[in-house]
Amino acid sequence: MSSRKIRAAGAALAFGVAVSGCALSGTGGGEGAAGDAAQEVASGEVTGEVSLQTWALKPTFTDYVQGVIDGFEEEYPGTEVTWLDQPGDGYSEKVLSQAAAGELPDVTNLPPDFALPLAREGQLMELTAVDDELEATYVAGGLEAYRYRGIEGTYGYPWYLTTDVNYWNTDMLEAGGLDADALPTDLDGLLEQARTMKEESGEYLMSRTPGLGDFAAMGVEILDEDGTEFTFNTPEAAALLDVYRDAYAEKLLPKDVLTDTYLGNSQLFTEGKVAWSTGGGNFIDGVIESNPSLDGKIVPSEAFGTPPMYVQGVSVSANTENPAAAVALARWVTNAANQEAFSQEVPGIFPSTLESQENPDFTESDGTPQGDAKVLAFTSLAGAEVLQPVEVTEAMATVVKQQIAAAVAGDVTSAEALDVAVEECNKLLADQ
Amino acid sequence: MTADTSHAAPPGGTLRPAPPGRGGGRADRAGRARRAGAAGTAVRTHAWFTPWLLVAPALLFLVVFNLWPSANTVFLAFTNVKVLSGGELVGLANFERMLTDRQLVVALTNSIVFMLLCLPFLLLAPLGLAILVEKKLPGIAFFRTVFYTPVVASAVVVALIWQWLLDDRGVINGLAQTLGVVAEPIPFLTDRWLVLISAASLTIWKGLGYYMVIYLSALGGVPRELHEAAAVDGANAWRRFWSVTVPGVRNTMFLVAVLITVSALRIFSELYILTDGTGGIGGQNVSVVMLIQMYARGFSGNLGYASALSLLLFVITLGPLLLIARINRRS
Repeated sequence: MSSRKIRAAGAALAFGVAVSGCALSGTGGGEGAAGDAAQEVASGEVTGEVSLQTWALKPTFTDYVQGVIDGFEEEYPGTEVTWLDQPGDGYSEKVLSQAAAGELPDVTNLPPDFALPLAREGQLMELTAVDDELEATYVAGGLEAYRYRGIEGTYGYPWYLTTDVNYWNTDMLEAGGLDADALPTDLDGLLEQARTMKEESGEYLMSRTPGLGDFAAMGVEILDEDGTEFTFNTPEAAALLDVYRDAYAEKLLPKDVLTDTYLGNSQLFTEGKVAWSTGGGNFIDGVIESNPSLDGKIVPSEAFGTPPMYVQGVSVSANTENPAAAVALARWVTNAANQEAFSQEVPGIFPSTLESQENPDFTESDGTPQGDAKVLAFTSLAGAEVLQPVEVTEAMATVVKQQIAAAVAGDVTSAEALDVAVEECNKLLADQ
Repeated sequence: MTADTSHAAPPGGTLRPAPPGRGGGRADRAGRARRAGAAGTAVRTHAWFTPWLLVAPALLFLVVFNLWPSANTVFLAFTNVKVLSGGELVGLANFERMLTDRQLVVALTNSIVFMLLCLPFLLLAPLGLAILVEKKLPGIAFFRTVFYTPVVASAVVVALIWQWLLDDRGVINGLAQTLGVVAEPIPFLTDRWLVLISAASLTIWKGLGYYMVIYLSALGGVPRELHEAAAVDGANAWRRFWSVTVPGVRNTMFLVAVLITVSALRIFSELYILTDGTGGIGGQNVSVVMLIQMYARGFSGNLGYASALSLLLFVITLGPLLLIARINRRS
């Protein structure tokens, strides 16, 4: 081999080693740091610099968040909070790059599904080790959202909770020969009324396809207890898909519902093209803002079956250099007073603190449909559950959506579609 | 020794200076410097690394944003790397997985069908347009601009507009139903093959202007005398097109065919937008690039398998690229 070739081979080898060094290294995690953190939180003084990252709260909630920060700095003299607010789009990618670079802020707003992979890699502080007031402070459902199959501990403080209730367009109901005082309370009733409306006015009552949340709401186990295998290809789930397939064939659903995203349903409701939608406690305000002609023509009712629980929370970085201040800040942001104040700013969200559960602001309606919806949503939270496991990634959700659409379209049987979905999801799960 | 090019002529008799860095050497440069000095012009010599310094910015850009990611992709294809957790070498496991990946078969089929739909239209229609707008007529620049406008528009915006046009409640279905042409909406965005045809139509509409410009420059190279001679010989317009124009732009047609093939195999935006990112009912409208995006995205993205898919796509598109290289050599 000539010296030139040897040099080239050497360079290639060095390049390969460099590439492999970069590519194969993980983020390292912070298990050791987490162990030390418990001690530091217990004995450390709450002082010094600490960073807080929120998700798309500027500029709408700048005053609120700044007020929370000012209150913290006043409560703990000597602390200085650096507030980072990230744009709504691309937040997961931003957090991912921060975590990969080991630069996760001390306290970060992370929904449970974002927190899971970070918890797996030891990037988040395990909170039961540093805070023995968790159970006494927050509702069980909120904490449960940050406890994962196969990982010990709790990895987030629940911040605020939301759920869905049903909304009905009374004008469309009336035109379709239906009574707004006799709203359906289950899927069978919904389909029956959808049929009546179709016959009477030719309009659609419903515009959605089922998802994993619907399977879970009817008691189907989506993922096994170990979190190692998906199990939702059951006869019960197939029967639900059959119901939707028949409704689709009967033209009780718009044809392009199979390609629309979920937002399509609420969008059609806002446009006055379907009479039923689901949405959070403040859904009516958003609809009326976009379509003022629907003011006074929307009534809420309880969700069918088990209501879904959606949780937002804040997590503490395992690598924080100021664990005592970071934990104190996370607790401060999620304390009852601050959560209740935030819920006043955003009517559709509710505090996750136990002491807020009897607050009359959330339990008494002012008599308007908006007030009724808020109370319905808040009272529904008592029985709400996180229906779709947080282990379900975007890729898995896409696969499930594809197969459900195929089943509802009648291209494959419901059982076949579910088998394929489970098989593909298990492959993706094995990748993790 | 001082080089003397007058004695170094090749057998063909053409005098060519020695290329930089070859056939010269230090003595040669010194000799040239002495001659230049004798003529009264100062020639500055540069350090050996000066050329490297000059090309360094471009080279750095190329290495950081092109060579490094490419090499990294090849390497990652043989690993099970995740963004957060790192990974390890897994040999050919990712490629074995491809053999049982049902979505990959669907994606490859879609990409090939899409390419076959686009190729004939984008090969011939822009040539026709180019011949039309090549003529020097008053206001012809306006038409050239109009035909080129879709190229400038964002693919995402265009796809969204087409989605509004084609969906069940869209303009086309609304018009067709109002006129009584169809009783039911045409499932442009829900039927597997109609989605592909819709995406191909969008791509063809958007690509016409781009390839028209390429043909325009090729048509400028076809000698006008040939057309005149053919006309004198009695050839009509159609005959002149086949016997003069087409042979004159044949190499460009090869180039355009290869460009269309490569870009069609890498289709993403059109199908992604038209199917709301779902890949269609049952995932029947995914493309290879959509699969790569699906696997690579998010906290748990499987970079290893996504890289293996990228490598496969690269190998598939390599065929047309090799073809163009061969055509270039010939021409």
